[in-house]
Amino acid sequence: MTRNQIHSIFLSALVLVAALIATRPAAAQDPKQPYPTMAPVEQYLMDHDAEIALARSAAPDAISHDASVIVLTRHGYETAVEGKNGWVCWVGRGWMAMFDHPEFWNPKVRAADCLNPPAARSVLPYAYKRTELLLAGHSKPEVIAAIKAAIDKKELPPLEPGAVDYMMSKGSYLTDSGNHNGPHLMFYQTAKDGAAWGANLTNSPILAVNYWYISAEAYPQLESFPPLSVFLIGVDKWSDGTPAPSM
Amino acid sequence: MRKKKVGAIAIKSFALLVVLGTAYLGTANQAMAQNTVTPYPKMAPIDQYLMTDQGAEIALARSASPESISREAEVLVLGRRGFETALKGKNGFVCIVERSWTSAADADFWSPKVRTPICYNAAAAHSLLPRNLKRTDLILAGRTQAQTDETIAAAVDKKELPAMEPGAMCYMMSKQGYGGDSVKHWPPHLMFYYSQTDPATWGANLPGSPILAMSDEHEHPTEHLTMFSIAVQRWSDGTENR
Repeated sequence: MTRNQIHSIFLSALVLVAALIATRPAAAQDPKQPYPTMAPVEQYLMDHDAEIALARSAAPDAISHDASVIVLTRHGYETAVEGKNGWVCWVGRGWMAMFDHPEFWNPKVRAADCLNPPAARSVLPYAYKRTELLLAGHSKPEVIAAIKAAIDKKELPPLEPGAVDYMMSKGSYLTDSGNHNGPHLMFYQTAKDGAAWGANLTNSPILAVNYWYISAEAYPQLESFPPLSVFLIGVDKWSDGTPAPSM
Repeated sequence: MRKKKVGAIAIKSFALLVVLGTAYLGTANQAMAQNTVTPYPKMAPIDQYLMTDQGAEIALARSASPESISREAEVLVLGRRGFETALKGKNGFVCIVERSWTSAADADFWSPKVRTPICYNAAAAHSLLPRNLKRTDLILAGRTQAQTDETIAAAVDKKELPAMEPGAMCYMMSKQGYGGDSVKHWPPHLMFYYSQTDPATWGANLPGSPILAMSDEHEHPTEHLTMFSIAVQRWSDGTENR
């Protein structure tokens, strides 16, 4: 797997990549939007047990075995398994990407995540809100406005320090690009860009993107959101311990 | 004794232990257990810790991170009384070649051969680095290891040394450097610093986890410090670690 492919994966998974923005500035302006609208909701749903298994595969069993698991229904995420260690595993769909991401409505995306307790408390509520509103048929501008209102009213929490997300599943489908997948860890930081960690620079092992948008051009109202960046670090093994392709 | 040793390791040679994973860690521990007589029982003449070629020390310090980061970083070099600024930086990062008393296992605490290149980001430069600079000052002033540990811990408690800033981290991706006789060379890795955080919060040290961590929370003296480490696949020059 080449580094460019990894970049594509990262960008396309609920994730990232300012590096890609630099090298492929067409993402937000590309007239070819392969998924311009939401597909029928059935295309985003999964077999219940298969979704639980995929969600758990995001992290080593030592973590996910005792984690809560949430699964997607027609109206939003629901708890399928009550956990004991504070972690929450789930399968993200395309709409957890930035609002202007070209694969936002890609029904093939299955991004397995296991969130640590700080992330479960402070990142997951945003995913719930976004998902419920989109599944209820609200437009992206409506969803953005609702999330902003909830932030302003403190109905959505501020990011907690130390929010970490394992994405080490061999079974994820993160993007149509490249090999579609790659094991990595994600770290959420209240930063406006990746400079604080030296991300996105030549030979840096850290990639970073804005959580909300690739370019604020399509939805400039997102610029008023609290700064939130996602930092990615690739790892060399899948959650089952088998080696991953070199990045 | 055992607990004290673990604590001391946690504080002063964390980079070594955390990064190496169980295979290296086992080797290191075994080496320490067997070597009841350390080859470095006391401080060597100070000249042995210094690098006579300042340009070489700057280059080694910078090799801790990709050149895209370190070329605009501040660089510190070791003088007879402590670290001094050799180059002013512009991006908030600080690169340094740390010596044994901050970056090696106990068996190598006084080893004059240890050279540990690190590039701290701004948050770590503000919060973690002052502890290591202070430790160096104390060591060079003739304090013992135990006295230094106590002094640093007390300064942390009194808030004379700061708590970890959010987002504090460092790069340790140099192909060069020398970790000590216990573990000579480390794989490229990143480290993240937190004040007293349970390693389990990150899923660290669990089977299959790519994150290693160590906390000195239950040790005495304590710096209330938790360090996480994640190995990366390439050296700072972009070549693959095989």
